Amino acid sequence: MNKYTLSKRQAVNELSTFYSFLAGFLIALVIGSIILLIQEKNPIDTFSLMFKLSIGSVNSLSSSLNKATPLILAGLGIAIINTVKLWNIGAEGQIFMGAIGVNLFYINSNLSNPTILIFLLLLSAFIGGAFCILIPALAKVLFGVNEIITTLLTNYIVIGLTIYLVNGPWKDPNSLNFPAAAYVGKEVYLPTMFGKLSYGFLICIIFTALAHYLKNKSVFGYEMRIAGGSEMTAIYAGINAKQKAFFAMLIGGGFAGLAGGVELLSQTHRVSTGISQGFGYTAIIVAAITGMRPIGIFLVGTLFGALSIGGSVIQTIGVSTYIADIIQASTLFGALVIQFFFNYKLLRVDDD
Amino acid sequence: MIDIQLLGLLNATLQAATLLFVAALGELITEKSGILNLGVEGMISIGAVAGFMTAVNTNNIFLAVIVGVLSSSVFASIHAVVTVVLKQDQTVSGLILTILGLALSSLIGKNYVGKKLDTKLDSFFSIDDPSNILQVLLSQNIIFYVAILLMILVSYTLKNTMFGRRLEAVGEDSKAADSMGLNVTKTQFIATCLGGAFAGLSGVYLTLSYVPYWTDNMTAGRGWIALALVIFGGWKPYRTALGALLFGFLEALVPRLQTYGFELNPYIVKIAPYIITILILVLLTIYKGGKTGAPKNIGIPFFRENR
Repeated sequence: MNKYTLSKRQAVNELSTFYSFLAGFLIALVIGSIILLIQEKNPIDTFSLMFKLSIGSVNSLSSSLNKATPLILAGLGIAIINTVKLWNIGAEGQIFMGAIGVNLFYINSNLSNPTILIFLLLLSAFIGGAFCILIPALAKVLFGVNEIITTLLTNYIVIGLTIYLVNGPWKDPNSLNFPAAAYVGKEVYLPTMFGKLSYGFLICIIFTALAHYLKNKSVFGYEMRIAGGSEMTAIYAGINAKQKAFFAMLIGGGFAGLAGGVELLSQTHRVSTGISQGFGYTAIIVAAITGMRPIGIFLVGTLFGALSIGGSVIQTIGVSTYIADIIQASTLFGALVIQFFFNYKLLRVDDD
Repeated sequence: MIDIQLLGLLNATLQAATLLFVAALGELITEKSGILNLGVEGMISIGAVAGFMTAVNTNNIFLAVIVGVLSSSVFASIHAVVTVVLKQDQTVSGLILTILGLALSSLIGKNYVGKKLDTKLDSFFSIDDPSNILQVLLSQNIIFYVAILLMILVSYTLKNTMFGRRLEAVGEDSKAADSMGLNVTKTQFIATCLGGAFAGLSGVYLTLSYVPYWTDNMTAGRGWIALALVIFGGWKPYRTALGALLFGFLEALVPRLQTYGFELNPYIVKIAPYIITILILVLLTIYKGGKTGAPKNIGIPFFRENR
């Protein structure tokens, strides 16, 4: 009788993450088709409609890129934190905190120069996101508290805080049906480049480059990688691992906060519970599927942004918008399965 | 005579604690085998919607519980395949299980939002005197007593049976367990599916009794609090139950504070349990000085080296 055993491959193809992603996406489309068939919808019609409405025209393409912007920025934040082998599940809350930061600065400032004001508002978004992860970061580096659970719980706290603010102190009396804060002035709206495409996407490109540099090219990135590796190596190299972990978490939180700031200044123009529609969670998929690579996050984030736009417009033909979420999550599961075959091979062993 | 309000608080505490405890107990079994499953929130959601849909369509509560438990268990097997068989990252897989579970349950439960149940998951006795403590304790939901039974059963199994010893051996040192001839993959697979079944039971309790209706994202972070409870309980069933009582008490107390004369903002009251959970986790970690009692192999995929 023959038995099989697993063996780790010595050399893993460098593009394996990319191939796994492609295969995972195909698997996800098959799963999505099955769900659509169960719901008695034609998958080909549905997917081609999603395709047409998400990237078929300049307007829909720019909507997709606008949608991708917060996904990418939050995903980059998760990837930076993962350099020290820590997880940020709190991007959703950080996005909200970024938007809260913008509004807090806006209603308390009397700057007249809009350019400087926009710059400072984006800075407060970054600080808001960093502030949001401060407690989990301190708890992690000082006492070793599991950051996965604490960052996740901050989501519920910040969303609760947002609901409090828009129903209480920041409530706009003119917004009757949907509790929200007052709109920010038109002078601080992020302008559009062409079509509906906001300058937020340009910020997103700049920060992708910045994250790539920070993670892969800078001294700090190198130190972060060592800090996330073995404890002994960090000590020998004279690197304060806890300090690196702390700053990585604050910077990563800041990226997600910036996502919320850009979303407010370019899309919603006010604080409400509609600032994020689960961007922080989708960003986890985007970051994980690319193996935490900034440029990969940019590309997959763009695709997933288009998927989300496609998912939200097909509601009109009676297809649940959750189909986009399911395709995104299934893509990662599919990719994980395929990745296994890149990392391991089956060997046949003969019984003694 | 005991104050009725106080007994009401006790009643609400036990209900909230049951919900959290059953899910936490399942996660405890899974983690004991060295597998971390962050998908509790998604698994509860799947069990909740599957049980609710079955109950609405068949009016058969028993069948609804079975379907809810089984669907969560099958759903958890995705995590088992990806992490146990294919040895992929447990954190990633668990997180995606949560995202997928929430999306999938919202999708299939879409037409059930706002539907009413004709029969609920009930208690053996009904209360006719809410000021009698014995009656309050005896009139709890069936799942409450099931949870107590499960607590005793799981604790006994972990300590005194072959399956329990095997689970512990695999979770502490899978390589040694393997060389002793234990089937690591099988043990971890079973433990993961069992964890899913428990989460499913918690889910059906949520939609068939605790709330009882179905709406999107109604798990509201309880799966994550269950995960925190396992840490709180130091991977021991009885201590986890104690933690569940504490968390259940907080969940029951906070909305009642107003009746005791505290002026609280209702929006702030809603976020208090999450703040307290973080606070307790921090205090607990400081108190234990980093020695949490976690299974040593947790999160590390088992891989038999070439021999």
